[in-house]
Amino acid sequence: MAGGDRLVTRMAVVWCPDWPVVAWGIPLDEPVVVVVGNRVVASSPAARAEGVALGQRRRDAQGRCPDVAVLERDIDREARLFEPVAAALEAITPRVEISGPGLVGFPTRGPSRFFGGDAEMVNRVLADVAPVLAGRGDVRVGVADGIFAAKLAARSTKARLGGAIVVPPGESPSFLAGFPINTLEPLALTDVLGRLGLSTLGAFASMSAADVLGRFGREGQLAHRLARGEDDHPPDLRRPAPDLAVTWMFEPSADRVDRCAFAAKALADELHAMLSSNGLACIRVAIEAETDDGEEHTRLWRHEGALSAAALAERARWQLDGWLGMAARRVESTDDPEADGSGRGIRRLTLIPDEVVPASGRQLGFWGGRAERADDVTRVVGRLQGLMGAEAVSVPEWRGGRGPADQIQLIPAAAVDLGEERVATGAAWITEPWPGQIPAPAPSKVLVDPHEVVLHDEAGRPVMVSGRGELSSAPHSVVSGKQRWLITAWTGPWPADERWWDPLTQRRRARLQVTLDDQSAHLLVIEQQAWFIEATY
Amino acid sequence: MAELALETPVLRRPALSAEIRQRIQPVTLSGQKVLPVPEILQPLFPWSGVQRGTSLGVSGHGSWALAMAILADALGAEGWLAVVGAPNLGLAAAAEFGVRLDRVLVVETPSAAQWPTVVASLLEAVDVVAIAPVGRVGPRDGRRLSARAREQESVLLHLDGARTWPTVVDVNLTTTVDGWEGLGDGHGHLRSRKVTVESTGRRSAARSATVSVLLPGPDGRLAPVVSPAEHHHSTLEIVRI
Repeated sequence: MAGGDRLVTRMAVVWCPDWPVVAWGIPLDEPVVVVVGNRVVASSPAARAEGVALGQRRRDAQGRCPDVAVLERDIDREARLFEPVAAALEAITPRVEISGPGLVGFPTRGPSRFFGGDAEMVNRVLADVAPVLAGRGDVRVGVADGIFAAKLAARSTKARLGGAIVVPPGESPSFLAGFPINTLEPLALTDVLGRLGLSTLGAFASMSAADVLGRFGREGQLAHRLARGEDDHPPDLRRPAPDLAVTWMFEPSADRVDRCAFAAKALADELHAMLSSNGLACIRVAIEAETDDGEEHTRLWRHEGALSAAALAERARWQLDGWLGMAARRVESTDDPEADGSGRGIRRLTLIPDEVVPASGRQLGFWGGRAERADDVTRVVGRLQGLMGAEAVSVPEWRGGRGPADQIQLIPAAAVDLGEERVATGAAWITEPWPGQIPAPAPSKVLVDPHEVVLHDEAGRPVMVSGRGELSSAPHSVVSGKQRWLITAWTGPWPADERWWDPLTQRRRARLQVTLDDQSAHLLVIEQQAWFIEATY
Repeated sequence: MAELALETPVLRRPALSAEIRQRIQPVTLSGQKVLPVPEILQPLFPWSGVQRGTSLGVSGHGSWALAMAILADALGAEGWLAVVGAPNLGLAAAAEFGVRLDRVLVVETPSAAQWPTVVASLLEAVDVVAIAPVGRVGPRDGRRLSARAREQESVLLHLDGARTWPTVVDVNLTTTVDGWEGLGDGHGHLRSRKVTVESTGRRSAARSATVSVLLPGPDGRLAPVVSPAEHHHSTLEIVRI
């Protein structure tokens, strides 16, 4: 096993735990959860102490911890507020690279030597970052060979404040060996490895690299490199030619983030198109901006997979937002009346692909052509939003619900990355059954405006549903205006008492399935003594 | 057309097995870029699938379910669908038929003036645009959009059976419900529906064809109609093996 032929970059990782909570400016000793689409994605330690866990449903979290505050995730805000942390690290090293809001790394070779060792450098990092956070959040540092080990080291720290773990040079493999296999990604791979009896990274690392590559392909090879404490950089990493950078000049200079966002989108599209025409994908990008007064800012952003055009644009937007936010705060904090904010606008924006890999071969469509499908679609969505308004295009996601109209919710396409996998679009997203749900098949037509009808029994009396969920008599016909259909078969009622705990939004409904003499089948719903056709099969 | 071409003397070669012919066909005949459809529906389509760049209409009770069953196969894992001006489309049902919801865009009903622009833009990026126009579509817009679909090799799916469309669509599928199964007099629930689908069309689809299917079948997807006798027969075969 020839593994040591590559030099592993020694990295430091600075991690701000619970950043989504910290970014909301809420003290960590209050119970808080941050949710995305009804699932908990972050929580404060106080909430975790009450039994709240990641991935829980909002309702379960509230059940565990009734006085928990629930906040929607605001990733733009997280990125903006993280910029001061990254800027503080710039005093230590120029090569700061952000993995995402809350997580930033840098190579330690230079700074470590300058400060006289890893431990001294870590102290310096803690001392520099703590004042930026001003006690609102926590900061942890991990130093190890390779960014993966460094990240795990940072995450393994226990101390409430100023925790740090320094893995001595060369000991990353033994440090990693004890971690469970599901520390790696993707889940599909670690699941198989776990079932093969490889329950720790150490066990996986002891496999031969050739066997792993043969059995699990590129994905397995990458995971194997990580488990062995080797650099996570793919072996075919290369530095791109400098002429691949793209630049946007602002005229006049931009001081608002929406103008920057527009430029970022255009640049990201251009860069992505250029890279993909060269068969490349970007895994680390440098974002460079020049302000009116000639100040230059650079920041690196990295991504485990390849950065899609949308992801590139998002990172550029976050970064510009962060810089503009810091400039605005500087102006506010000086008492100098001359500091009117001029000179803080952004004059130039440049995206430089810092590290690229051969594009992993998203298959061309069989009919020759639309490899960049998600990008095409995203572009058209952008055009339609410009034409019709931001909410005009939406994408479906599963939500649990009894009625056919509740099961799928449309969310604005602007809120998602169409190029990435979205869990809530699979029916498996809804894990628990909804009591009182109408059994499958689902109706193919769900009326946005239910159509009011009258239901008669054989004697021509209106059919109602009692408070105990029973029909007053067997339904015989459906009447709508002058039209009348005979009911050939029916079933129900399925009562649905929704939000009974809240007198304002409470809804009591009951549903019937009917087939009519014209062979159509419908779902009828009664609410407040009136029947409606809610859906048609 | 293409099948005729194979018969001409110029192209006559030693007979190929059916399997090989099927495999090489799409590569050799560029005019025949076809999105796959479920096998039982293949007789309805002139090229055994939805030809890219053409239009398809569906009408009748249960025709939206038919459209979903077709879309599930036609789009596969990678194809994109945009739905314009059909807010009533039951996406849960679409997912049950196998349409991938992460490849679906739902676009609000555009104003009459914007409608052609919106549909034309979508035809550039997605494989199938499902539409149900509210008002009549002018002949110029109709021609323009058909041309755009042809040039972008995407499919225009008329959820309203092209009622409001100025020209005839390439393939029109009309459904007739023969009956539902599963629902009784106050008990059971809707399970499966027997539907007869008739296809009409122009050019290569001019001959009409009829197919009977379960839409949905007992497992929620498109299924062949199994008569009790056939069912019996197949059981016997299994026993013999």
